[in-house]
Amino acid sequence: MDAGPLPYYPINDFGPAMKGMVIGGLGIFHVFIAQFAIGGGMLMCYFQWLAMTGRVPLARKFLDGFFKFLVLVSFVVGALTGVGMWFTTIQISPRTIGMMVDEFHWIWATEWTFFCLEIVAGYTFYRYGSILTDKARLALLGLYSVAAWGSLFWINGILSWQLTPGDWIGSGSLAAGFFNPSFFPSLIFRTIVSMTIAGLAACVVVNLMLELSREEKTTLIQRAARFLMPMVLMPIVGLWFFSVLPEDSRDWVMGGSVAMTMFMTIAVGTSMLIGLYALVGLIGQRLYINGATASLLCALAFAATAGGEFVREGVRKPYTVRQALYSNSLTGEDVARLRQVGSVTHDPYPLENASQYPNEQLKLGAKVFRMQCSVCHTMSATNGLTHLTGTWTMEQKRLNIAQLQRTKSFMPPFAGTPEELEALVQLVTWEHADRPTSWPVSTDTDVLNRIQQWLDDVGTESGLKPGRLLAEAG
Amino acid sequence: MEQVFPFGFPAASARYLTLYVLTLAVHVVFMHYVIAGTGWLAISGILGLGESSLTKTLRDWMPAALSAAITAGVAPLLFVQILYKHAFYTSNLLLFHRWMSILPVLIVGFYLLYVMKSRQINNWPLVARWAVVLLAFGCFAFTGYSWTENHVLSLQKSEWPTVFEQSRTFYGNAEILPRLALWFVGSVPTLGVLVGWQLRHSQNNADEPIAPAPSVVATASLIGLAGSVLFALVYFFMLDGDVRSVVTGRAALLYFLIATVGLAVQGYAWWRQRGDARWDVRWLGLATAGMLITVIGVSVVRECLRIARLDFAALYAEHEAAAGKSGLIVFFVFAVINALAIAWCVRLVCTRRSAVNARVDSGEVT
Ligand code: HEC
Ligand code: HEM
Repeated sequence: MDAGPLPYYPINDFGPAMKGMVIGGLGIFHVFIAQFAIGGGMLMCYFQWLAMTGRVPLARKFLDGFFKFLVLVSFVVGALTGVGMWFTTIQISPRTIGMMVDEFHWIWATEWTFFCLEIVAGYTFYRYGSILTDKARLALLGLYSVAAWGSLFWINGILSWQLTPGDWIGSGSLAAGFFNPSFFPSLIFRTIVSMTIAGLAACVVVNLMLELSREEKTTLIQRAARFLMPMVLMPIVGLWFFSVLPEDSRDWVMGGSVAMTMFMTIAVGTSMLIGLYALVGLIGQRLYINGATASLLCALAFAATAGGEFVREGVRKPYTVRQALYSNSLTGEDVARLRQVGSVTHDPYPLENASQYPNEQLKLGAKVFRMQCSVCHTMSATNGLTHLTGTWTMEQKRLNIAQLQRTKSFMPPFAGTPEELEALVQLVTWEHADRPTSWPVSTDTDVLNRIQQWLDDVGTESGLKPGRLLAEAG
Repeated sequence: MEQVFPFGFPAASARYLTLYVLTLAVHVVFMHYVIAGTGWLAISGILGLGESSLTKTLRDWMPAALSAAITAGVAPLLFVQILYKHAFYTSNLLLFHRWMSILPVLIVGFYLLYVMKSRQINNWPLVARWAVVLLAFGCFAFTGYSWTENHVLSLQKSEWPTVFEQSRTFYGNAEILPRLALWFVGSVPTLGVLVGWQLRHSQNNADEPIAPAPSVVATASLIGLAGSVLFALVYFFMLDGDVRSVVTGRAALLYFLIATVGLAVQGYAWWRQRGDARWDVRWLGLATAGMLITVIGVSVVRECLRIARLDFAALYAEHEAAAGKSGLIVFFVFAVINALAIAWCVRLVCTRRSAVNARVDSGEVT
């Protein structure tokens, strides 16, 4: 990890939105589309097989229809939004993506070779599928599916490492980081989700195929619905995933944080609805599913993805890479050092609207806020500090911020000097007072000494349950 | 930079530089196809040059070419972050919304390429058709502009705090437009080579020589080559004297010469092709070779210019640390397997297509 001086980056203001929401928001689209491209490939393989073995000759019509175009579009858009995820991560935490790239660039390069295969196999099928033999078609679709699933395999290792780096902490071993505790449950989970999305989308598309009769549609839908069957495994895989989550993340989701619990409930609830409908209706009772219902189920799957992505972004707090990098792009070592030298002393970037602050202390506070808090808080909008501290006295603010990791264990420890902390407290209070044009500078050395005492008391370690951390490190 | 690129650098830095330059060159080839191709479609649409096998081929292949350009862009995107982490991220952050906007813009551009291919568009009024093709070109030109802007900004460390404070939408710098112009004009001969092979292929499948004659593509490529030399000179003289001397310095000189030879070879090949009514493999092959060495030569010179403009030695330790991470073997193994699989896909299609063509020729299939 970085031992040198802190790499300062310009920090952008996302307005009223929380930065995590931005990345979560884009993540939903990306994950949904990309997972459809994966499941879509598998489904096309299956239908090709149905067609060529004479089981369902009709499947060919479906294969050469609109669905193929949809898969094509989604793998390109999936790729672009994937680059988008990358760019967004740079915007929110350049140091996180930097650490990921350093650690895993060969894994990413490997994923890229799968991605190239996916593009070539996908396009050749799309363009030339109609003049190829059945065997060749199946081969291309097979390669496409393997390649698409392969890119999920590789990226899943990197993303699950962020949450549960496992033995990588300590050993630094790539294999340990990649095949980390949540690797397999999340890989299986995402594979099931990919198949589900593809199955549902296929039902929508079949409904839209005007040239088919009702019986023909039913035949195809019954087949597509088989892609929903793996959903029965979801509860088991979900539990498995939960069992490997760090205890604090688990508590977070199970009531520790209202927002996280809500997103989790959405994800679980919508998945259960889809699963029930699929099992009881489509498979058990051999029901027909019309376009509206299929679209509704797709929308539910989208909501499930949304809930899941927000949870994934949320439960890592206070880290972006567990035990290695805090959400505000500081390492544990940085915290200790910045308590001595100050977190923004060497920050070369000015404030964007410096003139709005009546004195230098508030400007300092604004820089500290930008550096240490803005990744999770706004000042007065979503998760706004003025609301959160609205009823607190000055002393309470000082104490609770000085002992941030004790106030809420999903916040990183405060990483600055007592002067910086007092400046931040003044800023929050000034904002709460509706930004008066003049504001006294607080210079009381007793206050600073008390803050120093509190900082020393709480130390520079993370606030997560010590037992758990020790167990992870051992 | 005392030795020929990449030998003057520590092993780790040299390794990533090499990978970066090679993968960037591939990106450049496809990106050129997209820029020059949509540019050509826009111009021929507005001048009312009508439909030809050239415009048909371009329209037909453009979505695939865009996918290729994007896919090929991911690899240098990985290596540029290892090489120049801080500078690259900082300019991304400074451009903020503007930088992020290239993604929705590319999605729109991708969609427009399909609109251009669709049958319905032929029933649209002329203005609407113009709008579609101009807008598509605009999307890609904007993307190219943003990459150049980002690159130039990443080299101006002293300006970063002011740029941040002013938070303007566009970062103005006199260097950007000539540099971009060089990329755009230089894209024409690259397109010439690629589309030349495509047209030659369809020429083989038909008896009649197909309009437009190769001379049109050859002339456009020659103009593109002349324009590239012109803008290269303009750009060169805009640079500071000490940066300029890098081009003829130890590290870059060989590549500068290679690029120049490549330009000359392309010029000769296109000149000869220009006189022919049919595509000639000899001249196309020669132009291809010239194009490839030009692109590689230019990519290396471009890199040497960047290295001279930032404190590269300060980054050696980071490169070294990255090089210490494992996984290279995994990459090699799968790179080989997947390359074979890609070759197999292509073979599947090629053998099948020639079989179909043979059946068409023998009257079996109509
Ligand atoms: C990793 C993300 C993260 C960072 C960084 C962070 N916070 Fe928080 N903070 C949170 C979350 C999440 C909450 C919970 C909000 C809620 O309960 O609705 C919170 C709550 C708070 C509260 C209210 C606590 C309570 O007991 O009600 C305060 C005060 C606060 N943060 C201040 C700060 C300050 C000051 C900083 C910067 C020095 C900071 N936070 C940095 C995530 C963060
Ligand atoms: C049609 C769309 C695109 C066009 C027209 C385009 C154009 C360009 C241009 C002109 C440059 C050279 C910049 C300079 O040196 O001045 C460039 C560089 C680059 N492009 Fe693209 N590009 C496109 C899409 C992409 C995409 C989607 C990616 C990423 C996935 C990408 C990755 C890169 C990278 C990494 C560089 C090198 C940047 C640097 O070293 O500073 N490009 N591109």
